Amino acid sequence: MAKEYLDPDETGKQALLKILNLCRTYIMGEMRVPALQNVSFDIGRKYPEFVAIMGKSGSGKSTLLHQLGFLDTPTSGEIIIGGKNVLKMSETQKARFRLERFGYVFQEYALLPELTALENIYLPAMALGRKKDEYFKAAREVLGQVGLGERLDHRPREMSGGEQQRVAIARALINKPDILFADEPAANLDSISSKQVLELFRKLNREMGLTVLMVTHEPEDRNYVDRVIWLKDGELDKMEEK
Amino acid sequence: MLSDHKLALFLAQKSITKGNKGTLGLTIFIMSLVFVNSVFVSSLFLGLTNTINDQIINTVYGTVVIEPKKDEKFIDDVYSLKQKISRVPGVKGVSAQYIMGSVMSYKDKSGAWSVYSINPDDEITVTTTHNFIIDGEYLSKLDENDILLGKEIAGGYGGDDESRSLGGVKTGDSIDVLFNNGIKRTYRVKGIFGVNFQRSDNIAYISQKEMTSVTGMEDKASQILIRTEDVGNEGQFIKQFLELGINEKIKPWQDYASMVKEITQSFDIISMLISGIGLFVAGVTIFIIIYMNTISKRRQIGISRAVGIKESVIINSYFIQALFIVMSGIIMGLLIVFYIVAPWFIAHPLDFPMGSVSLLILPESVFINATSLIIAALAAGLIPSMMAVRETIIESMWGD
Ligand SMILES: Nc1ncnc2c1ncn2[C@@H]1O[C@H](COP(=O)(O)OP(=O)(O)O)[C@@H](O)[C@H]1O
Ligand SMILES: [Mg+2]
Repeated sequence: MAKEYLDPDETGKQALLKILNLCRTYIMGEMRVPALQNVSFDIGRKYPEFVAIMGKSGSGKSTLLHQLGFLDTPTSGEIIIGGKNVLKMSETQKARFRLERFGYVFQEYALLPELTALENIYLPAMALGRKKDEYFKAAREVLGQVGLGERLDHRPREMSGGEQQRVAIARALINKPDILFADEPAANLDSISSKQVLELFRKLNREMGLTVLMVTHEPEDRNYVDRVIWLKDGELDKMEEK
Repeated sequence: MLSDHKLALFLAQKSITKGNKGTLGLTIFIMSLVFVNSVFVSSLFLGLTNTINDQIINTVYGTVVIEPKKDEKFIDDVYSLKQKISRVPGVKGVSAQYIMGSVMSYKDKSGAWSVYSINPDDEITVTTTHNFIIDGEYLSKLDENDILLGKEIAGGYGGDDESRSLGGVKTGDSIDVLFNNGIKRTYRVKGIFGVNFQRSDNIAYISQKEMTSVTGMEDKASQILIRTEDVGNEGQFIKQFLELGINEKIKPWQDYASMVKEITQSFDIISMLISGIGLFVAGVTIFIIIYMNTISKRRQIGISRAVGIKESVIINSYFIQALFIVMSGIIMGLLIVFYIVAPWFIAHPLDFPMGSVSLLILPESVFINATSLIIAALAAGLIPSMMAVRETIIESMWGD
């Protein structure tokens, strides 16, 4: 296609992430579940944003995040990142893209149980082909950012939920991603730990210029973010600029 | 590429060292048993074949046999022929035998058996029957009234067919022998032998000297047995004998093993069948184990993929794990074979109608068994991980 997806707006700036008419329909036997229907928006046009995705349970928040993060493939629609139609990429290219530019934080931490905390953290850097001293250095850096220093040779199951989530965040940050995806990252944490996570996200967004997309159902989380994307029954309900 | 390989190795190593030790140990143990089983089966059949061949050579035919010319009943000029043959380098023994059918009787029992005449001094250079005397003594050259009986004839020594025997003849007993030429003699049983090979244990031996008096013929033989150095190079010796101008039929021992050949061929088929089934079972076992393992690691596979680890790296790490499991299984299997199974069978050979059988473990059959197991394991190990990376990341991470 000759017309690249540069699509600068009137200010001449290009969105970091843009989706167009995104649909995802789950097919379960005879049933079709339209979890996402014609969702379009863009993110990070003017500055790196901290965005919350909110809505009732089952409104399609996780589904949306999965499509954006390449963890699932949309039924139709387009995802454009940095001017590139990413849905046209091969699986290998997507894996590479994910590795270099995305970070993920999940509600259930999703750490590998056979690796120590430190190994979990530097795994993505290893996968990128970095050398040992490089990924150790990178690990030290992100450990400083998330405020973890001890018990790094412990396995995840020996750590508290808050610690595990910080390990997961450190892992998400190790390859210096452009976008951090977080699906209810604080849902399993106590109020102190969850506050720490949100403050950490805001700090990373403000100080490092990291774009953060976070699914949440906590109304008070809106205080930390720049914008809230509200979903309702798989459709874009409203945009709430803060 | 190299870093991909390193990463796969790293993940595999963590999985092996930090994963469930019980499952890993059990899997390796099963692999080793499968390996031991296939090596055992092929070695047992090799051992069986080997025993039969040894028995044929050691107790019946030697390695090369000379038979009468076509249309003739006997070999003539036996003495000079023997001389000629013994001079060929590598010939360790030559024994001429005259064979005659007979009916033997003892008390109310009787039966038909062949009587072989031998010069004991010659015979012991070819066969090993003299080492298997279970009662009395072996023949000597000058014996006239003496006969040596195989245990199947004598009876009472645990032969395979006691009902056809003379029902318990002991050393010192007298038996009547009616030769096919009508001559009847009474012999004292000098000894009884048992080589545990039915074919041999049905033979009775008398001395050459005695046979001459029965037949009235000298310097004649039904067959001449030759024992050559080593087994397997009979062809070369036969060529040399032909070059000596021997016109009689010359045959290698294998020609007499025709019934045995059929048996050993069916052994080969059975052995291959059992090994094949064993291998198939091994493949299925590995498949199930690795399948269960990948199912239980489905979420981990999903997480690794979500993080950005390539599918090829994940498959590779499972490949390495399968390789590790099968190699450990083989090493453990080798230890079991060489330190437990083989010594046990050497100490306790199995008693078969063809003699006592031990395992014959040939390096090439061990190698073939190992290779096929590795191939089966890798194939069976690859499929589940390839299946696992085919689902979407979300499915493997949160699916049920
Ligand atoms: N793998 C799936 N198969 C079928 N239906 C699904 C699947 N995942 C989610 N859904 C359905 O899609 C809708 C949106 O789900 P989800 O995105 O998880 O909502 P949320 O995260 O907002 O709670 C729900 O109705 C849910 O039941
Ligand atoms: Mg959800």
